Amino acid sequence: MPSNRTIKPSTLSISDLPWQIKWDKDKCTLCGKCTSVCPVRAIELKVFRKKSISVSIDLNQANKSDFQTFFGINQQNAIENTCMGCGMCTLICPNNAIISDKNLQTDKFSFHINQGGEPRKRGGRRNSKESILDKIKFIRISMLTDPALDAGRHEFEISTLLGRILPPKENMKQLREHGWIPPVREIYPLIIGGMSIGALSPTMWEGLQMGVAYLNEELNMQVRISSGEGGCPARLLKSRFLKYVILQIASGYFGWDEIIHALPHMKEDPCAIEIKYGQGAKPGDGGLLMWYKVNKLIAAIRGVPMGISLPSPPTHQTQYSIEESIAKMILSMSMAWGFRVPVYPKISATSTSLAVMNNLMINNHASGLAIDGEDGGTGAAYEVSMNHMGHPIASCVRDNYLNLVKAGKQNEIPIFAGGGIGKNGNLAANAATLIMLGASGVQIGKYVMQAGAGCLGTEEDRCNVCNIGVCPKGITSQDPRLYRRLDPEKVAERVVDLFLAFDTEFKKIIAPLGRSTSLPIGMSDALGINDFAAAQRLNIKYVV
Amino acid sequence: MNPKIKSNPKYSKIFGKQDGKRLSSRVVEEIIQNKIKKDHRYLEIEAFGQHGIGGRLWSAKDKKIHIRITGHSGQRTGSLGFANTKIEIMGSASDDVGWLNAGAQIIIHGHASNGVMNGSAQGQVYVAGSIGARGMTMTKHNPRFDPPELWVLGSAGDFFGEFMAGGTAIICNFESQNGSYALGYRPFVGMVAGKAFIRGDIDGFSENDANLVPISDDEWDWLFINLKTFLSKINKDQLIDSLGKRSQWNLMKAKSQEEKLYNDSKKSLKSFRSQVWIKELGAGGLFGDILNVDEEPCPIITSGKMRRFIPIWENKKYKAPCEASCPTSIPVQNRWHLVRSKSLDTALEKQLEYTPFPATICGYLCPNPCMATCTRNVEGMTPIDIKILNRATENVKLPSPLEKSGKTIAVIGAGPAGISVAWQLTLKGHDVTLFDEEKELGGKITSVIPESRFSKKIFQNELKRVKKLIPNIILNKKIDKSKMKQIKKKFDYTVVASGLSKSKMLPIEGIEKADSALNFLFLAKSNEIKPLNKIVIIGAGNVGCDVAIEAHRLGAKQITLIDVQKPAAFGNEKRDAKACGAKFLWPCYTEKITDNGVLLKTGELIMADKVVISIGDKPDLSFLEKNIETDNEFIKVNNLFTTSDPKIFAIGDVVSPGLLTDAIGMGRNCAHFIHALFQGKDVIKDKNLFDEKEKINSKRISLEYFSPFTNKFNNIEECASECASCGTCRDCGICISICPENAIFRNELEETNDYEYVSDAEKCIGCGFCGGACPCGIWNLVPNTA
Repeated sequence: MPSNRTIKPSTLSISDLPWQIKWDKDKCTLCGKCTSVCPVRAIELKVFRKKSISVSIDLNQANKSDFQTFFGINQQNAIENTCMGCGMCTLICPNNAIISDKNLQTDKFSFHINQGGEPRKRGGRRNSKESILDKIKFIRISMLTDPALDAGRHEFEISTLLGRILPPKENMKQLREHGWIPPVREIYPLIIGGMSIGALSPTMWEGLQMGVAYLNEELNMQVRISSGEGGCPARLLKSRFLKYVILQIASGYFGWDEIIHALPHMKEDPCAIEIKYGQGAKPGDGGLLMWYKVNKLIAAIRGVPMGISLPSPPTHQTQYSIEESIAKMILSMSMAWGFRVPVYPKISATSTSLAVMNNLMINNHASGLAIDGEDGGTGAAYEVSMNHMGHPIASCVRDNYLNLVKAGKQNEIPIFAGGGIGKNGNLAANAATLIMLGASGVQIGKYVMQAGAGCLGTEEDRCNVCNIGVCPKGITSQDPRLYRRLDPEKVAERVVDLFLAFDTEFKKIIAPLGRSTSLPIGMSDALGINDFAAAQRLNIKYVV
Repeated sequence: MNPKIKSNPKYSKIFGKQDGKRLSSRVVEEIIQNKIKKDHRYLEIEAFGQHGIGGRLWSAKDKKIHIRITGHSGQRTGSLGFANTKIEIMGSASDDVGWLNAGAQIIIHGHASNGVMNGSAQGQVYVAGSIGARGMTMTKHNPRFDPPELWVLGSAGDFFGEFMAGGTAIICNFESQNGSYALGYRPFVGMVAGKAFIRGDIDGFSENDANLVPISDDEWDWLFINLKTFLSKINKDQLIDSLGKRSQWNLMKAKSQEEKLYNDSKKSLKSFRSQVWIKELGAGGLFGDILNVDEEPCPIITSGKMRRFIPIWENKKYKAPCEASCPTSIPVQNRWHLVRSKSLDTALEKQLEYTPFPATICGYLCPNPCMATCTRNVEGMTPIDIKILNRATENVKLPSPLEKSGKTIAVIGAGPAGISVAWQLTLKGHDVTLFDEEKELGGKITSVIPESRFSKKIFQNELKRVKKLIPNIILNKKIDKSKMKQIKKKFDYTVVASGLSKSKMLPIEGIEKADSALNFLFLAKSNEIKPLNKIVIIGAGNVGCDVAIEAHRLGAKQITLIDVQKPAAFGNEKRDAKACGAKFLWPCYTEKITDNGVLLKTGELIMADKVVISIGDKPDLSFLEKNIETDNEFIKVNNLFTTSDPKIFAIGDVVSPGLLTDAIGMGRNCAHFIHALFQGKDVIKDKNLFDEKEKINSKRISLEYFSPFTNKFNNIEECASECASCGTCRDCGICISICPENAIFRNELEETNDYEYVSDAEKCIGCGFCGGACPCGIWNLVPNTA
């Protein structure tokens, strides 16, 4: 690209871009690996011209000018080839000759990505590092009071209940009368939230499932994983591992016919059914799988043609009121497994969540409520939804829990919280905070991609190209050239690692509370924050 | 279990109770310490639960202190004990006996409760019974001293050996209190060093921290000897036979940090995958029934089918900008390629395949769109000078036509378009007859274009060459309607290329005083113009400029070109007119032409003794039948130059006025089409009839190799060497040199006497370096979708 040319409104220089390639000519060995690996072809080999001038003040000596050429790595400035900072070039460079640096100025790229009138879509989550959960501390540490427990030495039973728990009187009555008692599962409180096949690559999806199976069968941790909306491979449906899976049904109903066909062949019931009404990353919007990723496998599993974008409607189409929606969906799903499987809705955190909770309270088939906060991640969404829509998880969980307390039902309907848990790495602390605010368990997605598979996405808008299928780690790509970079076995290993580490950290937090067998659900007197307004809002202690 | 307590006169007695009242721990400690200071070496304490008896007796220094405790031994007996102290508890001991022991020997003739030896680093504790929870916990081994030892005849309670960091424990498991087990619940959690000999079974232990290991001979010898000593200290020598059986003993040792780090007690995921996962799901795992891919992960950088991108050698796939902009579609870049390949003659001869006037038009008269669009302009570099090459074609020998086809074509008009179509058709073997009403060939080049703008001699030579190729040229032949009818009947096809022969004039007063540009130029060339001084040319296009140049040649001193809009003149014509001193005025609206000159609507009079109207020309179509459709006085043709009469074609200015090269190009394309008709091709559907290649994207060209300092080309070779050869391989081999994987090689193609560059898929990693380095933009990197 010549330096002198006519410019268009969207002609940007490298300094306008969010990420800048710093390339070291002296170190570069011109091996071609960086340009080979770049997911978006942001860099290319270029021929450079260098002028050299030798002048002399001596009039008898002629001045000379000459030029040489050299080869080097050039950053492109076309919108479609904008560097997104994944750093794969740095990873692969044998000489550390190239690095992608964050531009500290406000980039101009954001003003021009809407080429052709199409606003930006991306993967990842809200571009904000802030987290109220990180600000909350555990202030009740028993050394001499309570039964002070040693996280390393004492034995813990870390589990929570997923399912509708009847009040004791009612339960006894049902027992006596041989009535129906809602199914309840005892599960590990850290759940891998719904990420579909399609959103994730087959290697990633299998790695997660394998890790979960290992945790259950080798380490006796009752970890559960949601399938996400995108069907479930027939082999999994017909295996005993199905009991570790929470099957998700969402407004696209992708892959459900395969699930129905597999029903007669199921050896085990799934752990639960999650009805997805909303997602924290993009409240008000349905699922979205962009055409880049709909290949033969995805088409087969979802029962759709290849190479087309698959949006799911923002709502379930044939349901017109909250009462109808909840009653209809929960009943249908309960019936499919003979009322043996807990069924619960998942909503995005919203100021209207209490209305949902109130409806669940009067419906005995409702097994819980999953709430996904504004910091949830996604494989593809409009940036405006991701960055600007949504409700923080902490106050939403708190409101719902206190509402249950008011109704005297806090032990009856479990709340599962998701969205940005561990977004800055503080998984156990964030999880314990939400549990003490009233959640019975938490769901993670992005964290498991980061810790389990090395996802490079950040809240500084790094990478975040999950939507177009070029994930350099092979986590969200459907291209075998990329997803085969990921070894499901290694993903499984990391999943095991992260759960074990979580387990220890979680014990470190709950041991000083004297809790070893029941989770400190709603034990908010253990929480403090140095923000008065937040303390008031969450009804926890204000500490300075 | 307690031995019978006998009073020993050697011992000085201390009573834990005086006058029926229990002495506090502080008072008993004071009494003991005072006695030691008074050189008492044997103390017997009838304890009443006092804390810490027997510890801290350092004031006696190396002298041995013997403490006997009867009664109720309190908590932490012997705590912080020194090596000079020997304590004998005649009954059972309370919690934490030997706590933080720093060397004391403590014998307990009964049981001991929780926390025996907690935190001890030296000394020995011998227990003749069993112990409670958390015995031997947090013990240390200081290398300056012998490690601490705990001997227990019976069993130990829960959490034995927690956080043990040194020392030796021996649990004989005689008359166990844990059923048959030697130890209680979860022993050795957090153990980091030390060892424990345990007789009999253990009901589990912390496998993360400790290991059961075989007992070595040395260790057994040590154990056996010291076991005897222990038994003798607790007066149970007779038990040696039942306890001293090596096979009954186990040895527990802490795991090294290395062993902890590489803890393989868990099943590896590898074996879980093969033994559990695959077994339940089937071969290939979760997606094995749908996906058929290798299970092995692939590296980030791959070649072959796993590459993300593939380089394609797109030689000659695209037109160079010069070729794309040439109305005659002359592949200029290929001619420079021939020059570089030392085939100058071919490069020159090639041109005759495209145009009969390579020198006069391409070398002189053409404004050369090829140079205007040359990629080098993008970087402000001087475009390659095609004129040098074209002017050298003057004496190139005539190509030989193909075999006679017997098909006949009449061409009306022997100007550039007519000659071009006749030239091409003749070369293709058809029989062409060229008609013109003038006495010489060449149309407007001959009749109106000033000779200052080209070389008359070269043009004459080129005309000679035309005449040589086309035998049937009928000049001085005015074609009228009836002649046209005959011609159409006689020939297979007729091509009308009669150009513009009528000048447009303005409907104003005094127009009869003015001359048309065509007429003026014609007369000027024939030198039939009277000398003139002041001339006004109405219409400031390029033809107007030609009038100005000729007027200057003929002596005009004041030359004015006026126009109603910004003058359309450009290029050489405009430059030359200005050089002749011509003034351009606009906007000027003419009111009338008077004897004195041109009167404008503004009332201004521009003096002139000659007024020339140069506002364009029109074709004279009077010889055509009415059925030939026209469009604004020009002949209407479709994109294949066919008029509304399918036997009649029209090209050149008679269709739409343009450059000379437009006329040449139309002639060539029309001939191409007529030839295709003769060959019976489906001319409507045949996509290959014309070369539909796209123009190359100039971003693909690397101009950096070429000198930015070149302002002027001195010869043909210089031009050839500086041409980037956009879209056509220069055969420079830079791609071979830049390829990091040595994947590119050059293939000689013997059949076509050509070559190709090939990237070996098995080596190529798809980095695109070949494309980035290629000067000509041949290599293209495309996504690998296979």
